[in-house]
Amino acid sequence: MAGLLDKRLWVVSGKGGVGKSTVAAALALRSARAGRRTLVCEVNTQERISRFLEHPAAGPEVTLLEENLWAVDVRPQEAMREYGLMVLRFEALYKTVFENRLVRYFLRFIPSLQELVLLGKIMYHLQEKLPDGRWRFDTIVLDAPATGHAISFLSVPHVLVQTVPQGPMSREAQKMRDLLVDPSVTAAVLVALPEEMPVNEALELHAALKDKVHIRTHAAVLNQSIPERFTEADLEALVGHPELHRVAQANHDRASLTVLAGTKLERNLHAPVFTVPRLYLPTFGRDAIEQVMGHLEALVMGEK
Amino acid sequence: MSTTALGPALSKKRVLICVGSGGVGKTTVAATLALRAAVDGRGSLVCTIDPAKRLANSLGLSALGNAETQVPSSALEPLGVTARAPLHAMMLDMKQTWDDLITRVAPPDQRERILANRFYQSLSTALAGSQEYIAMEKVWELRRKGEYELVVLDTPPTAHALDFLDAPNRVLDFLDNEAAKWLLAPALKAGKFGLSLFNRSGYVLRALSKFTGTEMLQELSSFMLSLSGMNEGFRERARGVRALLEDATTGFVLVTSPHPERMDEAIHFNTLLKQHRMEVVALVVNRVHPLPTEAMWADAATLTPTRRAKVEETLRELQVLAEQDGRGIAQLQAACPGIPLIQVPRFGLDVHDITSLWQTGRYLLGDDTF
Ligand SMILES: Nc1ncnc2c1ncn2[C@@H]1O[C@H](COP(=O)(O)OP(=O)(O)OP(=O)(O)O)[C@@H](O)[C@H]1O
Ligand SMILES: Nc1ncnc2c1ncn2[C@@H]1O[C@H](COP(=O)(O)OP(=O)(O)O)[C@@H](O)[C@H]1O
Ligand SMILES: [Mg+2]
Ligand SMILES: [Mg+2]
Repeated sequence: MAGLLDKRLWVVSGKGGVGKSTVAAALALRSARAGRRTLVCEVNTQERISRFLEHPAAGPEVTLLEENLWAVDVRPQEAMREYGLMVLRFEALYKTVFENRLVRYFLRFIPSLQELVLLGKIMYHLQEKLPDGRWRFDTIVLDAPATGHAISFLSVPHVLVQTVPQGPMSREAQKMRDLLVDPSVTAAVLVALPEEMPVNEALELHAALKDKVHIRTHAAVLNQSIPERFTEADLEALVGHPELHRVAQANHDRASLTVLAGTKLERNLHAPVFTVPRLYLPTFGRDAIEQVMGHLEALVMGEK
Repeated sequence: MSTTALGPALSKKRVLICVGSGGVGKTTVAATLALRAAVDGRGSLVCTIDPAKRLANSLGLSALGNAETQVPSSALEPLGVTARAPLHAMMLDMKQTWDDLITRVAPPDQRERILANRFYQSLSTALAGSQEYIAMEKVWELRRKGEYELVVLDTPPTAHALDFLDAPNRVLDFLDNEAAKWLLAPALKAGKFGLSLFNRSGYVLRALSKFTGTEMLQELSSFMLSLSGMNEGFRERARGVRALLEDATTGFVLVTSPHPERMDEAIHFNTLLKQHRMEVVALVVNRVHPLPTEAMWADAATLTPTRRAKVEETLRELQVLAEQDGRGIAQLQAACPGIPLIQVPRFGLDVHDITSLWQTGRYLLGDDTF
């Protein structure tokens, strides 16, 4: 299997709380370590990735975290301003228009304008070049919103192209769509946990990305997996120790769920599934991300 | 006899709203509370949002939701108890509920036009807070009809707590005629319909249309016009929803995971609820890992070496998780003084049937504790 390094835009999504930011942080770190100038984007949320990597928060400006690794939390107000300045060209004009209370009112209700400018900023960085003609960022890792929001977020260019009359918005949307649907540029990584709902959401997300957004699922990550530890014989031997039996049984059940979840993902996604074990660390920081990264080596670098 | 703050809430409140980040257990807690209330004698309804399929099945809900359905008494048989009042459940279909609302408040000749308008589509699906709003509006409607002594509302996964609390205001904002009048003023005066790109505000509007195209603005103003007929009905409801949230018979149950890294979200939510003068009846910390006891370690020491190693490894892992949870809970307690905190353990398997809901309820109401 080819590694993610062949692609430039890595979209990470899945159900809320499954470890999207964790996986995005690990993938971005690996890309940076491979010598690629890498930008990791969070979208209008409580920033997690800079914190996981034990750096100060990046905020809404692209900020260098460490060698080859930049981060940004893309926020609507700032993105709207950048977009506004690009279209209107003059700060003064921007102010008159965008700082008008009533205009702000309308902008909130223009369907999908907010998503469009958020995604627009990410796509802008994807095409940004250095003076010497190289890409400013070789890799962009998008820590996308959770399933439902991710689908509506990523479908925005398609929806706009189909519904909005010809104009500046639809032209922008068209450009974004072309990049998103290009399989040589964009790849999705779906994150799940070994539980029923997160796995089902990953499958739904896969189908929606394929049918509505035309983004291919490159791989899935089964996070917080529990490896097999107790055999049936072990469990039987523990029957006389009810408390310990309960603990062992729970561990065993979770391990079985892990196997089931892995199989279900593999069968339905037709994509490789990478397993990241549940980690037991007092705090979840850089050490944790480095460990997660270790389990995603083949996903980034490709199978040798 | 219940010993937690949820006991009095279940017997006195008319509406309980379960809030919190995605995946923490809101749906589970909501279903559990309604079940307990019914068993204890108050007719209740749980209004769920995207329940796991197996949970829906065990409540007797089929794929087609949005209707209030009585949970058959046979479903409670495994518990060995009979409910003293009926338990109802429903799955809220938010798009459908929006359409129903429009159908109810729009003038008949405007309905189709509104339902088909793309600004309506964005109001009903994409506008931040619109899903939250329609869920609350549904509860307001149910409460007004008064068929249930208690309505327990589950809520959609909300990206920002504020989206939730601000939802009624945003809807009221949307109906803010002032802006529409400004956009349309001269045209309205002239008795025709169109955009006033060339009046006093035209300069700003022309710049705005560079972003959106003129057609988009035309369409928006036309939508505002068609809404104007129903503004009052709509507003009155939105005001009703806002009042319901602050009502003394409404309580919030804030559900959170015990994880220290995620505690900031719960604390933030609690602060916002307080600022909005909404009552948090309890903080439910769900999926807590209990600390392995001394007796367990001692017992493990009597096992054969390989089994002992496996068991001790597992206990060590649980110890790490329990200590982590302990730190999170301490943080939460310190940040939310005076609010009752209730812990529910992480069960071996998912909570998808009546029996495990019942088990969850024993912790929520203090029959069982750590
Ligand atoms: N492999 C793992 N082992 C143990 N804990 C983990 C693992 N992966 C993630 N976690 C824990 O789960 C928490 C949630 O992860 P993360 O923030 O990456 O999820 P997310 O999917 O981005 O959440 P959201 O939907 O809120 O954005 C992390 O704070 C971390 O503590
Ligand atoms: N205390 C618990 N122990 C084990 N599993 C739980 C517990 N509480 C909830 N779950 C499971 O976690 C998953 C998410 O819970 P759910 O109530 O659907 O969360 P939310 O509605 O907040 O997204 C469900 O599969 C549920 O069965
Ligand atoms: Mg995240
Ligand atoms: Mg839910």
